[in-house]
Amino acid sequence: MASGRDVRDMLGLPMGGDVQKGAVQKRAKVAAPVRRIQGVAREVAALYGERPPPVAVYEAKKAYRAKRQNQGPAKKWVQQPFINQARTDGLVLKHWRRKPTTAPAVQDGEDVPMEEGDNTEPQVEINGDYLKYKIEVDIPTFSDEEYEAHLRSDDWSREETDYLFQVVKDYSYRWAVIWDRYDYQPAHKSHLPQQTANSEASQALAALPFAPPKQRTLEDLKARFYQISAKLMKLRIPEMQMDAEQYATYEMLSTFNPELEGNRKLLAAALMNRSMDEVKEEEFLLAELQRINMAAHRLDAERAELRARLEAPASNQQVSAGMSSFTSSQALQALFQQLFQQDRSKKRASGGSGGPSRISLTTNDLIQTPSSANAQMSAAARRQSMATNQSVQTPIRTLSPQQEYRYNVSTHDRLTSGVTFGSDKLLKMRQAKSNVQTQKIATALAELGVPEVISLPTSKVSDVFEQLIGKVSKLLDVRKVREKEEGECRVLEQMKERRNSEAQNGHVSMSNGTSVEPQAKQEIPDSQEQTPGVDAEGEADDDDNNGADGVADADGDGDGEVEADAEGEEDDEDAEGEEDSRVPSETVSRAASVGHKRSASVLSQGSNKDSKRARK
Amino acid sequence: MNNLNSSATPAAGEYAGDEVSAIVLDPGYSSVRAGFAGEDVPKSVCPSWYGQIDSDSGPQYLFGENAIYRPAPNLQIKNYWGADGVVEDWDTAAKLWEYAITSRLTGTRASDPSKNGLNDDPKENGNGEAMDVNMETIENQEKPLEESPLLMTEPGWNPTKAREKAIEIAMEEWGTPAFYLQKTGVLAAFASGKASGIIIDVGASHTSVTPVLDGMVLKKGVQKSPLAGNFVSNQIRLGFKRSQPEIPLTPHYLVKSKTQVDAGSPAQAVYRTFDTPPTDSFRYYQEERVLTEYKESVVEVWPGPGRLSNGTNEEIAKSMPGRPFEMPDGWNQVFGVDRFKAAEGLFDANAALTDDANPRPKDEHTLPRLVQAAVQHVDADQRPILLQNIVVTGASTLLYKFGDRLNYEINNIYPSTRNKLIAPGPVVERKYAAWIGGSILASLGSFHQLWISKKEYEEQGANIVEKRCR
Ligand SMILES: Nc1ncnc2c1ncn2[C@@H]1O[C@H](COP(=O)(O)OP(=O)(O)OP(=O)(O)O)[C@@H](O)[C@H]1O
Ligand SMILES: [Mg+2]
Repeated sequence: MASGRDVRDMLGLPMGGDVQKGAVQKRAKVAAPVRRIQGVAREVAALYGERPPPVAVYEAKKAYRAKRQNQGPAKKWVQQPFINQARTDGLVLKHWRRKPTTAPAVQDGEDVPMEEGDNTEPQVEINGDYLKYKIEVDIPTFSDEEYEAHLRSDDWSREETDYLFQVVKDYSYRWAVIWDRYDYQPAHKSHLPQQTANSEASQALAALPFAPPKQRTLEDLKARFYQISAKLMKLRIPEMQMDAEQYATYEMLSTFNPELEGNRKLLAAALMNRSMDEVKEEEFLLAELQRINMAAHRLDAERAELRARLEAPASNQQVSAGMSSFTSSQALQALFQQLFQQDRSKKRASGGSGGPSRISLTTNDLIQTPSSANAQMSAAARRQSMATNQSVQTPIRTLSPQQEYRYNVSTHDRLTSGVTFGSDKLLKMRQAKSNVQTQKIATALAELGVPEVISLPTSKVSDVFEQLIGKVSKLLDVRKVREKEEGECRVLEQMKERRNSEAQNGHVSMSNGTSVEPQAKQEIPDSQEQTPGVDAEGEADDDDNNGADGVADADGDGDGEVEADAEGEEDDEDAEGEEDSRVPSETVSRAASVGHKRSASVLSQGSNKDSKRARK
Repeated sequence: MNNLNSSATPAAGEYAGDEVSAIVLDPGYSSVRAGFAGEDVPKSVCPSWYGQIDSDSGPQYLFGENAIYRPAPNLQIKNYWGADGVVEDWDTAAKLWEYAITSRLTGTRASDPSKNGLNDDPKENGNGEAMDVNMETIENQEKPLEESPLLMTEPGWNPTKAREKAIEIAMEEWGTPAFYLQKTGVLAAFASGKASGIIIDVGASHTSVTPVLDGMVLKKGVQKSPLAGNFVSNQIRLGFKRSQPEIPLTPHYLVKSKTQVDAGSPAQAVYRTFDTPPTDSFRYYQEERVLTEYKESVVEVWPGPGRLSNGTNEEIAKSMPGRPFEMPDGWNQVFGVDRFKAAEGLFDANAALTDDANPRPKDEHTLPRLVQAAVQHVDADQRPILLQNIVVTGASTLLYKFGDRLNYEINNIYPSTRNKLIAPGPVVERKYAAWIGGSILASLGSFHQLWISKKEYEEQGANIVEKRCR
């Protein structure tokens, strides 16, 4: 679109007055619309009422068009003759170009009419812009000697080979075109590429008694060309000296297999020429395959999800680090225990008993305000625990036992905070205080044929499992007690034997006594040493401590059998109490282990000897 | 092998139009298109039919619509094209082409009135009626194309002789500084922005299917058939004759005035009378104009699926609402299923109407078979690429629903490939695709190195077209 200014400019009219007039008009109109709305527009405006119109109205005049910079007269254009450098024949064509301004600007006005009168031929421009499109393809070349020595072929004459190379060059390696245009006429003695079918010439040829020219397939052409290229390449650069790229090309050229290529094309053509029915069938089968695949995937995904739900807590709990491992109540409790142990051992190390503990020790605290127990506890876990607390407060509808059974509703006197997994609980039950004990339980369960992982750990299953575990541990305890009893019996028998033999030769006991003495000594400093020792494996530590205590006790009591009874009772309690809460059970089990240690210490000959000596 | 990457966009400077006021000439059987390269439609479109009035002083030639539509005694309407789609009458062809170029394009030479001799002979300005008379005098003066390179189009099957003749005319008669010949198929593909594809061109005298790869025609694959616009016209004529009662075909020049009549009732028109009635060829040509109108507004191609004769398709076609048409004399009718029959022969040889003068077309001349044959002659690796770019061009492809049917037919032959028809919507682009492609090509800076210059022509002779334009 030409603006008025352009038109005026072209026609050479003066600009000043009109432009100003236009500007004045514009200004008047901009000011006007507020007051002077007329006709329908006014009524429409009245309909708007107070509100502004829904569409912002812009003035059509305000076109965002760059102002013409040049105020002077229109620039002259000339038909500039030029020579395209991509040509060799010096063809001169003309194109429109801005007339180069040679004269200074002031003189321009005067010069123009003169120049037009002159009609001087403008200089011929040399244009090299399109030189880059003049592209010649690289074609391997060979001398006559090379041809004779290496490139001869029974199937190809020298003339046809030359012709092939010419066509390849002419059509820049576009093999489909090369094959299309390939039309070698052996009758032509000239080397010129007379490939086009000159109708008369071909007719004349047909009449001649020559054998018709061989029909070459695209693969034949390629094979010949590639073969020659490869040979020439090898002649020019020995295989050893080729760089990777060259070698790749060489390899490609020398391994070209026309038959394979031809067969591939046959297959491709066959694929294309399939009938509608075949295509439909294939489509149908493909759709079917996809459907089956999708169904299989979905099934797999569902199974995987189910499996993940069943197994995840067991496999993840120990491995996964960080906060995520503290999301279950058990994990939190374990953490608490750990911290608790550390705290206690530190306290012992400092020897102080009255110092304020960093972590509150009462189990009540632990259960009611888990968040206070550990500053590290994640916000998520806190929210979880709060949610659980809320659910406790909701009123409970009472159900008949049948209903309870049917809907699998269970009531609890006391709920631990947080979400617990049934499998978690089962796993916990398998674990005893010491590793040895845990292993024993595991072997016992394995003997019974209870699997490692119990899928579907419902509350009923866990109840039964709990009973089972209770019995198993009871059994184990009984066995232990029995072993202990047997051991003591053995000791007593030995003592009896020894006493008899002592009575026979007294000096033997002397040597015995000296050998035993260091042992006893060793045991006492040992226990002292270990008391202050901060040990990560608190349990073994504790046991040792307790063991030391136990030795003292045993010394005091002097009777093994009574203790063994008490132990048995304690262990029973232990097994039963475990379900309710971990902490009490732990204390109990610790008490039990105290018992074990005591008996173990009783077993040691040295201590026995000591006591015997004391009695002596 | 250094190939330019065709997928990357060229840098800003590389679109590089460089207009050298080249002229593009696209001669066809029904019309000649000429115009300056770089423009988007040909400025000069003139019928390939010319008038010839024989008199004692030799034949007089009339060119251009204005001249040949006016009835005159002894006026014969002829066409310079031969039946095989190759120019037959070269002398008249050259005159007619020159008329097409000079009447609208170069015309009066504004550049240098003192030199070009136009002022000496004001008759030259006329619409060419006196062209042949003036030829001799013009000879000595400036030749019509001295300033403009010429890009000419040719059908895919153009023989060497015809090509050499074309460059001869351009160089020697017209004095063009540079010349190039390019196939219509390639140019039509360029007009759609494709360098490779199958070009289906349904013109007036011939239908051609041309596989093009990287801007080069694959000669073995070029197919041609006489089933095109003229064939459809003849089918309509046959249909009119067969219909009960016969449908009268009265061209415009016979009608002085007409009155409105009911559909199907005889025309009530006042007819013109002539002392010496115009020749049959004149009438035939004028009838052809009416038929083209009929093709434009009534004829419909059965869109598929299946052929019109398949199963219940004809019943379905019958149930479709008809299309009205009024003859120049006022006779009018609503055309029902008959309108489908005129063009069905392009796709189904069995469906063609036949009589003694119009034998049954050959099966291999139907469009589906042509496409199949063309694809068959192309290297197997290139076939899918070509089928993805099927360019549809030629004015006869403007027949209603032509594209739908063609699409169906091609998908029917090649159900397993991705076939894509590229049929430009605008009428001009469909009619003048080859010219537009030429306009694009000849205005590219990078093309100018391909021109055959006058110097090269003089050094190497006419056979240079064979080497350079391939
Ligand atoms: N809108 C239309 N619908 C159908 N046919 C049409 C339409 N317009 C023109 N035709 C027909 O198209 C034909 C002309 O087509 P076109 O101009 O492509 O041919 P051409 O290029 O001159 O001839 P050819 O390619 O055979 O040398 C005529 O037969 C004419 O009747
Ligand atoms: Mg055409």
